[in-house]
Amino acid sequence: MDLASIMYLAVTFGLFVIFALIVGNTYKRKNKQKKEAPKYRMMDDD
Amino acid sequence: MGKPQYHTDIVKSFVNWSLVWGVVAVLVGVIVSFQMINPDLNYPPYFTFGRLRPIHTNAGIYGWGVGTIFAMFIYMVQRLCKTPLWSLGLARFQLWLFNATIIAAAVTLLLGYNTTLEYHEMEWPIDLMIVVLWVVFSINIIMTIIKRKEEQMYISLWYMMAALIGVAILFTVNALAVPVSAFKSYSIFAGTNSANVQWWFGHNAVAMALTAPPLAMFYYFLPKSTGVPIYSHRLSIIAFWSLIFMYLWTGAHHLLWTPIPDWIQTLAMAFSIMLIAPSWGSVINGYMSMKGQWHQMRDNYLVKFLILGITFYGLQTLQGPMQAIRTFSAFIHYTDWVPGHIHMGTMGWVSLVSVAGIYFLLPRIYGREVYSIPLANLHFWLVVIGQLIWSTSMWISGILQAGMWNAMNADGSLTYTFTETMVEMYPYWWIRAIGGVIYLIGILVFIYNVYMTVQKGKEPAPKLLEVEGRA
Ligand code: HEM
Ligand code: HEM
Repeated sequence: MDLASIMYLAVTFGLFVIFALIVGNTYKRKNKQKKEAPKYRMMDDD
Repeated sequence: MGKPQYHTDIVKSFVNWSLVWGVVAVLVGVIVSFQMINPDLNYPPYFTFGRLRPIHTNAGIYGWGVGTIFAMFIYMVQRLCKTPLWSLGLARFQLWLFNATIIAAAVTLLLGYNTTLEYHEMEWPIDLMIVVLWVVFSINIIMTIIKRKEEQMYISLWYMMAALIGVAILFTVNALAVPVSAFKSYSIFAGTNSANVQWWFGHNAVAMALTAPPLAMFYYFLPKSTGVPIYSHRLSIIAFWSLIFMYLWTGAHHLLWTPIPDWIQTLAMAFSIMLIAPSWGSVINGYMSMKGQWHQMRDNYLVKFLILGITFYGLQTLQGPMQAIRTFSAFIHYTDWVPGHIHMGTMGWVSLVSVAGIYFLLPRIYGREVYSIPLANLHFWLVVIGQLIWSTSMWISGILQAGMWNAMNADGSLTYTFTETMVEMYPYWWIRAIGGVIYLIGILVFIYNVYMTVQKGKEPAPKLLEVEGRA
C-alpha cells in the first residue's frame, strides 16, 4: 500500500468516526428531549 | 414580547419570478419534445433543439428550482430563527442579479455560447455573476442563522446550510477555467479529470439543488400543513449527516464503463447503493409523520402534493442506485430511460414540493385565501398524470431502445441499424409530448389560481393576518 492509499483510507475512517460520534450524540438518552425539541418549536407560529 | 417583523415582499418577488422561469422551462420543454418528433420545427440558427435544450434545463433547474429555493429559504429562515432577514438590501440586490443572470444565460445560450459541460453550460462572465449571486444569498441566510433566537436548529436549517456550502464549492471547482476571449474559456481540467470533476459537480448539483433544498421545504411544509410535528427529529438529523457523507462520492456513477479508473467507478457504485438508507430515512420520516393523519390526503390538497412528492423522491432514490450498478448501467445508459428518471425527480419530486410551498405561502404573503381549492386539485391531477405519462413512456422506450441496440445476429453483427432504433422511438416521443402538454396545462391552471388569489382571493382567517405585523 502506498502513502496515497493509506491517506485515503485514513480520511474515510476519520469520516466514519465523525459520523459514529454524531449518531452517538444524537441518540444519547440524555439528549432525547433536547434533540427532539426543534420539531415542536417550529410548529409555534408563522 | 412582539413578534419579529418578517420581510415578505421580497419572498413575493422571488415567488413571482420563479413562476415566470418555471413557465418558460416547461414551455421550452414542450417545444423540444415536439422538435424531437418533427425536425421541421427546428429554426436555425437560434431555435434549434441543440440551443433550446440547455435553455430548458437551465431555466428548469436554475430559474424555477433555484428561484423557488431563494423564495423558500428567505421565508423559512426567518421563521425558523425567529428573527428577520439579516439584510433586505442584499436580498433586493440578489433578486435583481438573479433575473439578470437568467436572462444573460438564456441570451448567450441562444447565441450558441456553451462550455459543453452539462448543467454548467454558461461561459465565464456568467459564472462570475452566479458566484456573486450565490455568495450574496449565502451570506444573508447564514448571517440570519447566526443571529437566530433559537438555540437548537430545526432540520430544514441544516439542509439549507448544506445546500449553500455545497453549491458554492461544487460550482467554483467546476468553473475553474482560463478565459481566452469575452465568451470563450477552457477548463483547467483535461481528459478524464475533466469528466470526473464535471460529474462530481453534476451529481452533487442534484444533491445540493434538487435534493437538499426540497427536503428542507418538505420538512417545513409537511408539519405546517398537517398541523402535526414530524415523526422524529433525531432520525432526520442522522439521515441528513449520512446523506452528506455519502453523496460526494457518487459522481462517477455517470461515468461507468469509461476510461476513468475502475476503483473510482466501484466506489461511486457502492456509495450510490448506500445512499438508499439516508434517502429513505427522510421518506420513512415523512410517512411516519402521517400516522393518524392519512385522511388529510383526501381533505388537504397541500398534503397530497407533499406526500406524492416524497413518494416520487423515494422511487427516484431506489431507481437511481439501480442505474448506478455497472450491469444495469450498461443496459440503460444513453437511452431514453435516463430522461424518464430525471423527470420523475424534477417534474415529480422537486416541482410538487415547490408548488406545495407556494400554495402554503400565498395566504401568508398576499394576505388572501387561495382562490380555488378545486382548481388546486385539478392542477395536482394534471401534473401527476402528465408526469407519469412522460416518465413511463420514456422507461418503456428506453428498454426497447436498449434491447434493440444490444440485439445481435448469430454472426455477431448488429440486428438493427441505429436509424431503425430511432424510428421505433417515435410513438413514445409522441406520448411523452402529450404528457408534457398535460403537465403544461396543469401549470397554467396553477398560474391562473395564483393570479386570481392575488386579484380576488378572500381575506383569510385572522390568524393568517398576523404576518407582517398586520394583526
Ligand atoms: C412539461 C414539462 C417538461 C417537458 C415536456 C420536458 C421535456 C424535456 C425534453 C424533451 C428533454 C430532452 C430529453 C432528451 O434529450 O432526450 C428534457 C431534458 C431535461 N429536462 Fe425537461 N421537461 C419538462 C419539465 C422539466 C422540469 C420542470 C425540469 C427541471 C426542474 C426539467 C429538467 C430537465 C433536465 C435536467 C433535462 C436533461 C435530461 C438529460 O440530460 O438526460 N424538465 N426535458
Ligand atoms: C439515491 C439517489 C440517486 C442516485 C443514486 C441516482 C443515480 C443516477 C445515475 C446513476 C444517473 C446516470 C444515469 C445514466 O446516465 O446512465 C442519474 C442521472 C440523473 N439523475 Fe439521478 N440518482 C439519484 C437521485 C436523483 C434525484 C433525487 C434527482 C432529482 C431530480 C436526480 C436527477 C438526476 C439527473 C438530472 C440526472 C441526469 C444527469 C445527466 O444529464 O446525465 N437523481 N442518477
